[in-house]
Amino acid sequence: MTTTTTRFQSSVSGVRDDGAFVSTGRLVRAEWTKFRSVRRWILGVLAMAVLTVGMGLFIASGSGTDANTRPEEVTVGPGGARVHDVFQFTHRPLQGDGGITARVTSLKSADGREMAGWAKAGVIIKAGTKPGSTYAAVMVTPGHGVRLQSDFTNDVAGKSRAIPGWLRLVRAGTSVTGYESADGRTWRKVGTVTLPELPQRAEIGLFATSPGVFKVQREFGSTSVGQSTSVVAATFDGVDVQSRQQAASWNNTVVSPSRAGGDEFQGNDFQGTQSAGTFTLRGQGDIAPRPDGDDPVRLPFTGVMIGMIAAIALGVLFITAEYKRGMIRTSFAASPRRGRVLAAKAIVISAVTFATGLVATVILFFASQPVLRSGGFAPPAFPEPSLTEPRIMRAVVGTALFLALVAVFSLGVGTILRRSAGAIAGIITLLVLPTIIASALPISAATWMMRLTPAAGLSIQQTSRHYPQVESVCVPEDGCYYSEPWAGIGVLVAYTAVALGLAYWLLRRRDA
Amino acid sequence: MNATIEVRGLRKRYGSTVAVDGLSFTVEPGQVTGFVGPNGAGKSSTMRMIMGMDRPDEGSALIGGRPYRTLRSPLCQVGALLDASAVHPGRRARDHLLWMAHSNGLPVRRVDEVIDLVGLRPVARRAAGGFSLGMRQRLGIAAALIGDPAVLMFDEPVNGLDPEGITWIRGLLRSLAAEGRAVLVSSHLMSELEGSADHLVVIGRGRVVADTSVQELLTAASSGRVMLRTGRRQEAMTVLANAGASVAANGPDTLTVSGLAAERIVALLNEGGVSFSGIAEHRASLEEAYMELTRDAVDFRGATGAAGGPGSADADGTAAGGAGGSASSSASAGREQR
Repeated sequence: MTTTTTRFQSSVSGVRDDGAFVSTGRLVRAEWTKFRSVRRWILGVLAMAVLTVGMGLFIASGSGTDANTRPEEVTVGPGGARVHDVFQFTHRPLQGDGGITARVTSLKSADGREMAGWAKAGVIIKAGTKPGSTYAAVMVTPGHGVRLQSDFTNDVAGKSRAIPGWLRLVRAGTSVTGYESADGRTWRKVGTVTLPELPQRAEIGLFATSPGVFKVQREFGSTSVGQSTSVVAATFDGVDVQSRQQAASWNNTVVSPSRAGGDEFQGNDFQGTQSAGTFTLRGQGDIAPRPDGDDPVRLPFTGVMIGMIAAIALGVLFITAEYKRGMIRTSFAASPRRGRVLAAKAIVISAVTFATGLVATVILFFASQPVLRSGGFAPPAFPEPSLTEPRIMRAVVGTALFLALVAVFSLGVGTILRRSAGAIAGIITLLVLPTIIASALPISAATWMMRLTPAAGLSIQQTSRHYPQVESVCVPEDGCYYSEPWAGIGVLVAYTAVALGLAYWLLRRRDA
Repeated sequence: MNATIEVRGLRKRYGSTVAVDGLSFTVEPGQVTGFVGPNGAGKSSTMRMIMGMDRPDEGSALIGGRPYRTLRSPLCQVGALLDASAVHPGRRARDHLLWMAHSNGLPVRRVDEVIDLVGLRPVARRAAGGFSLGMRQRLGIAAALIGDPAVLMFDEPVNGLDPEGITWIRGLLRSLAAEGRAVLVSSHLMSELEGSADHLVVIGRGRVVADTSVQELLTAASSGRVMLRTGRRQEAMTVLANAGASVAANGPDTLTVSGLAAERIVALLNEGGVSFSGIAEHRASLEEAYMELTRDAVDFRGATGAAGGPGSADADGTAAGGAGGSASSSASAGREQR
């Protein structure tokens, strides 16, 4: 040996084991340096934003509605929400406190068609006959038993499900209490509601109405959701108004924003008759909040289906580019704990796509508003959405979250397959194909298919309000895979977790 | 940290191919250890296992007594150049080093220090995709040195370097070892290690063929041979053979004599009145020594039925020697052995 061995002293103080948090933090910094130093990836993430906004505006500009030209679409309730307020009203004035008792002896279909579960008949006190005015009512329904409802959005269930059944409504100041009874002697209180807007002189009486029954027609590429009208007839007896005034005569009014007998209604849809203490009311319509049929806020966000492709490519390439050139070995030489390298990559790619995606969706939300308004999605039928509303915020943030989850899912799949082309094509197919196939399938099959694929995450974009007391249809074309918007993101999270888990297991097991 | 690489009973099979077959050796600090063997001998596989990339089927590879996978800031302990083209073509050279520095919590100044050390300053802000193989080798070496580690591994570092680069890397390897680091350098050409390696681990077919210092190897290979140039070949051969030497004729006027010291040969020739124009003690080149070893390994190869046996192995060796070029007398040595 010619060399004398000197003990080597490194000039760099090696980092001590700072624990998982700090060491992962260093790797996150390293992965971020990797990401930002490849210009194509920066362009890719910008493309994701531009495609999402551009496609979103394109979709928004191609959408329109004539809802504001139809008067029944623009009735607004006490809370400012859009409501249905169409029914047969047999009524008399009530000054100050008082009440009404009646027995519903039958509730039947009057047109021979299927009756809706939320058809309703009962006793009601209302500010007047103007549609949208404040009210409280206790009623029987074929599908949901006795209910106490007020001001369109409040709904309290009673106990009884039987028809015939006795109903009673008692007013004291601005509070109204509803009762139910099987025999007219023992009464059970259903609940008490407060109607701040109820005037001293109100109208009290009987009502009958029924929403239509949904019919969904699907052909490849198109879905039409129709509501056939359903007319019901209700009979009452034992009608008794408790009032300090002289008994007044009964009036029959069709409460409706459009003129009864006009274009919207057929003449015999509404009728109120009485003979020998028996009242018969025939009506259709509904007294209920109007669910947002179209979802104009969601529409532009569907542009994410195009922007998503960039997120998929980024997620996949972030790892497969390393495999392609053997750079993965340099990465694992720098950090032999491979799980942390994967975690750091997931953190970086999700943060980048989420932040950029969020900027894109906020821009898209504001940019799409004038476009949608010019397409007819304007107040009063479509109240101006605000970013501070939770349902709007959820769609805006949720769409960015969707992009981030898709990118992380792609990272996991890229790690598993180690091939760019196969992974990108596979994920795009997995996300896009179901939405194409869905329109050709029967509605339940389509819904279930969408629920089980990663695209279920798109259901977070729904901004429609749903009410339990109103039937609504959920069609996959409207992004309604789950009626609960967060549930779909849960499916995507599960897919992402499985992909990452498998990727982690393979990384540890495989030779690099 | 104890700056060593210890490989103990390493075995690895890829599919039906046994790449590494019970390999054991130690790389000591303060010297350059050459890791030599023909292509496919298992050098890269062994290095990957040392780096924790591939899991050995049997045995262990330890760095300073620990498996690579348990090292906490590995770049400060081991630097490796495994594959010079393992850089993203769209990333600038400096950014490549920067992410490595971040990953181990190294100061950013180290990035600029190693860039200067390998002479990449002028191109540090250019995308690595446009680099020549030689520039990529330098970038890979910079990456290996970024943590100023005590253990270094270079897989075929002179590949693609121009003669100037080869000289540079030889000097670099020597100085790194002189600082007390353990340096392992693989090559499939023994000549590339001439003048830089102190110790050699020669492997063939996944096994250690020789684990020896360069000094010992050369001494053994030279073993007292003397080159003699004379116009009277026949007389010289007679005189020397009578004195007990074995003599071989290499050319019309050159002889190789073994078994006698040079002084004794001169005395014998003078006594016999045989004139000669030159005499020199033969110094074997590493290439010759390698060939010697490869010839031993041939027995082992023969078992798998290589057609022509020794002949094919020698053909490999001659080709390798020719490519090496710089080693003097290697060509004549090759003929001598025939």
